[in-house]
Amino acid sequence: YRDLHTFELQAPTRLIEWARGNRVCVAGYGQSDGNEILQLIPPPTLLTKETQGLCPERDFKVECGGFSERPVYSLKYVPDTSLLVTSGPPDSSLQVWQVSAEDSDVIKSVSTIATENGTGQSWAKIATISTRAPWVLHGSRLDRVQITEVESRKNVYTAASRGSEELSGLAFLDCNTLLLCCATGLLCLADIRQPQSLVEAMSVPSAPCSEQWCMGTRHGAQGLEPSSQPVARVSSRGLLTLTDLRKTSEFLALAKARVPSPGSGVEFLCTSWAPALEGYLAISGFDGTVHVYDTQSWDSSGREAEPIFIHEGHAFGEAGGSGDSPLVTVHTWHLQKPRTLFSAASDGSVHVWDWVQPCEKC
Amino acid sequence: VSLVLCWCPGAGQDVGRSCILVSIAGKNVMLDCGMHMGYNDDRRFPDFSYITQNGRLTDFLDCVIISHFHLDHRGALPYFSEMVGYDGPIYMTHPTKAICPILLEDYRKITVDKKGETNFFTSQMIKDCMKKVVAVHLHQTVQVDEELEIKAYYAGHVLGAAMFQIKVGCESVVYTGDYNMTPDRHLGAAWIDKCRPDLLISESTYATTIRDSKRCRERDFLKKVHETVERGGKVLIPVFALGRAQELCILLETFWERMNLKAPIYFSTGLTEKANHYYKLFITWTNQKIRKTFVQRNMFEFKHIKAFDRAFADNPGPMVVFATPGMLHAGQSLQIFRKWAGNEKNMVIMPGYCVQGTVGHKILSGQRKLEMEGRQILEVKMQVEYMSFSAHADAKGIMQLIRQAEPRNVLLVHGEAKKMEFLKQKIEQEFHVSCYMPANGETTTILTNPCIPVDISLGLLKRETAIGPLPDAKKPKLMHGTLLMKDNSFRLVSPEQALKELGLAEHQLRFTCRVHIQDPRKEHETVLRVYNHLKGILKDYSVQHLPDGSITVESILIQATAHSEDQGTKVLLVSWTYQDEELGSYLTSLLKKGLPQSTP
Repeated sequence: YRDLHTFELQAPTRLIEWARGNRVCVAGYGQSDGNEILQLIPPPTLLTKETQGLCPERDFKVECGGFSERPVYSLKYVPDTSLLVTSGPPDSSLQVWQVSAEDSDVIKSVSTIATENGTGQSWAKIATISTRAPWVLHGSRLDRVQITEVESRKNVYTAASRGSEELSGLAFLDCNTLLLCCATGLLCLADIRQPQSLVEAMSVPSAPCSEQWCMGTRHGAQGLEPSSQPVARVSSRGLLTLTDLRKTSEFLALAKARVPSPGSGVEFLCTSWAPALEGYLAISGFDGTVHVYDTQSWDSSGREAEPIFIHEGHAFGEAGGSGDSPLVTVHTWHLQKPRTLFSAASDGSVHVWDWVQPCEKC
Repeated sequence: VSLVLCWCPGAGQDVGRSCILVSIAGKNVMLDCGMHMGYNDDRRFPDFSYITQNGRLTDFLDCVIISHFHLDHRGALPYFSEMVGYDGPIYMTHPTKAICPILLEDYRKITVDKKGETNFFTSQMIKDCMKKVVAVHLHQTVQVDEELEIKAYYAGHVLGAAMFQIKVGCESVVYTGDYNMTPDRHLGAAWIDKCRPDLLISESTYATTIRDSKRCRERDFLKKVHETVERGGKVLIPVFALGRAQELCILLETFWERMNLKAPIYFSTGLTEKANHYYKLFITWTNQKIRKTFVQRNMFEFKHIKAFDRAFADNPGPMVVFATPGMLHAGQSLQIFRKWAGNEKNMVIMPGYCVQGTVGHKILSGQRKLEMEGRQILEVKMQVEYMSFSAHADAKGIMQLIRQAEPRNVLLVHGEAKKMEFLKQKIEQEFHVSCYMPANGETTTILTNPCIPVDISLGLLKRETAIGPLPDAKKPKLMHGTLLMKDNSFRLVSPEQALKELGLAEHQLRFTCRVHIQDPRKEHETVLRVYNHLKGILKDYSVQHLPDGSITVESILIQATAHSEDQGTKVLLVSWTYQDEELGSYLTSLLKKGLPQSTP
């Protein structure tokens, strides 16, 4: 490690979201009510490009917080507004919140975007964009995907329903193109200007046992043709696929990660691309570790890939003796510092770490 | 009955000035008496005219309590007791009492001798002030006077720091001072029992921070020291005599042992020796682990750390030196600093806050050319690092303490009100108590509901539950008795017993009420109607028709007479004793409604 900072939250989080002004947001997902949404200011040493080492201010500051009655499974800021949207069980409705850090430090609940609740609906996955207006893309199943205008709560678009597979993720590729990922691994593209068509993109290699998939898309790289960025998918068995959305008939690359067989870990499956390092991908959710891979060395053979770095810090949790070793719930890359990642685990720990690039020879 | 307090805190940064005045059930207590480190004039002392415009402080204040020896909590004490004038008792724990005079004298020397101040307290004043100090033990209840008592609880944070409970009758306040809910290498964590005070006053300086883990801080500190020593450099660590110095010694000692390092570590003599001496004396104030290892091996006797001699500073090769004072403003640490500053291989690690004007503060702000005495310029090429191991409670710690003590109200000091709304809501939601955050100089009044216990005599209880409708768990039952206040006790007894005890004669009160009823028939028929009517309604009561023509309901008497002028009207006389007031009124209003038409 070049740098390692460990923190402990009062309650574990399963999301780490970046907000305007280099703020970071976390939220509790406990069953009982009184889950907190916390918007944090990272310590100055983590914000500057240069690592400072010993520094007076090494702590996160809680800038503002809110209370959510339901567990918060997903949270997205609405760009160019002071709003954020959350979702969580028991249904697929969304909660809209207002952050006004100057006046008070309370994040206030503003409204709810209700959705029709069919049976067996789980929580909605969300994505936001504000190019035309503040929109939130949400849905828990393939046949329930819609875009709602955040402030007016008006429905702007509904995807043509196909199957009723559960979604594991969705994203705006640009202001007209949506990418949906099902838990079965199926990727779908949709153009919101043509509501009736839902293009089925890449499927995944079929497996003997059922596995769950999730995707990682390039994090808002400005100015680049969005569909040229490969989409990564990772399964609960450790299979990794890279797909170029322009050529969806074949895999760009296929690899296997060395991970323990899926136990209870599928809930927190997470993969993301490094914003500042070409081809670097991180995965987590199998155990108490986060793996970082250089995908440029991958091919389509599907053999085992060697991670560049494994962060094991969460496995040696300070809350010892509780039996279960903690599970990494989420990770995210620092937007500016190329090798810095944030990761959170089920024991409430949050680590910020900066790994050293191993030399080619060793 | 209320609890009033006002306070004059610091300027909202890391180090302020604590001084809180609490008024509880008529007693006035001052909590802490701190000095503001950022000012050089009178602003550094709290404004005591807040307390009383005229009249002596000694008459007004019942006692003063000091929570721990940090300057911002007790620095103004000699000024207060000797220059402003206070002769009453000052309470603090034994370690605090032992350490305070040393630090006060040290601070006085620096302020007067080095900075040339005149309006400052003298050595004699410090001595006179300390004579008024009464030392207390943990968990020992101290009677300040007949009604006021105080008790100290372990607070962690620094050696001798305590949280105090102040109790008058059944009202109490707990003041935390600075505390820490997580144990560190040489101190335990704060602890309090479920004392359920009316008010908990807690510091909240670090309430909005999520602390970096200790392990990481220590790791970085050790890394820096190691790197410097490996390349042959010298590390200077200016320390306050007491506090973090011991912690860092333990840390380095363990690290040196583990890594098998050979570079010498030195501890400058003087104050720090005394400090170690005190730690050994007050070993019971340290944490469990230290006490256990003390039995096997004295944790404060170090294998790798030796006493320093001035000449060693010139020795070639790597070394680590702990020297006082902590802000590099004078003395040995400054001397060493001057010798080593010119070499970029060396490093100085500042372990804490530095007051403006000191060399420590200057180099931390980035200054690299310093003017010394005799207009000599010192160029600082050595590395300057800062590290903070301060131990205060964060939001999680505050919640833990509230959970332990179960106060009815919470008051947070040392925070900025605007930014504390979230924590306030959090406390209010989780514990259902009110949370206050007064601003500088503001007075907060908290109303308390004292409980006054009253004993009820068994005979009275039995009697009252026997008459009337059966006791219902959902309906409150009104009972009659007499409250006797005698010899500081409250008792509820039957009137007869009260009369007997007080030697009084009983007076009987009887009420008679007239109810007019339209009924042209004869009196005895009216009576019959009334009887049947009441019998039908008052099924749970004993309603009787007596041979003399009157009706009784329990012990209430109803008689009917004809109206003197109007034959069509009958007058019912309803008569009852004071004890039957409730039933009597009820009957009267019932009868006033009139009799049902269809009666035989």
